[in-house]
Amino acid sequence: MKLEETIRILYDAGVEFVVIGGAAMGLQGSAHLTRDIDFCYARTAKNMDRLAKALEPFHPVLRGAPPDLPFRFDAKTIGNGLNFTMTTDLGDLDFLGEVSGLGPFQDVLAASDMKSVGGVECRVLSLEGLIKSKIAAGRPRDLYVLPELRGLNEVKKKTGLE
Amino acid sequence: MLDLVTNPPPGSELARAKEFGVDLTLFISTLRRTPTERARSLSEGSRIFKIAKQTLLNER
Repeated sequence: MKLEETIRILYDAGVEFVVIGGAAMGLQGSAHLTRDIDFCYARTAKNMDRLAKALEPFHPVLRGAPPDLPFRFDAKTIGNGLNFTMTTDLGDLDFLGEVSGLGPFQDVLAASDMKSVGGVECRVLSLEGLIKSKIAAGRPRDLYVLPELRGLNEVKKKTGLE
Repeated sequence: MLDLVTNPPPGSELARAKEFGVDLTLFISTLRRTPTERARSLSEGSRIFKIAKQTLLNER
């Protein structure tokens, strides 16, 4: 996983995105580890085209799919789908068109904070947003991290630390 | 902050997290880091996890 590099590549390509999931947890100060990077992306024609072009050099393939399954991560494919879990040269990357408990990109954006990562100003899902999405997802692995996220949120509010 | 994570107020989210088993003292180091440092730490953690997983698979 190359978080800093991936954010830089998406930013340089002008992709509208919000870091969500485990990577957002880590960027918000959680000690939780993650193996993949999740993003929510804007589903405008321009953004889907930029996203496809940004990832093309990194050979995206569907994660867990048979190697001979034809797949091309282009704007048309993105437009016809919604959520993509992929393996790339940058590591495992997931791109979600909407987030459970929050909704589509604009709602996820509204629930995000600005963070500077490697000199890039990018949007990261807030702790409140993460808590809401984890509750809505409701899987054991989502519920498992709730006490930590709520505790972290409380520490931040009481100390003013970011 | 040290007092907050070592002696969380009763009934607080921190107290509940501690009871759940979360090591609250980890917040001291993670919140001292910048987002860039956190990103690098995540990537490094992921790299180590991958190596450990591969080592275990090779031993089978």
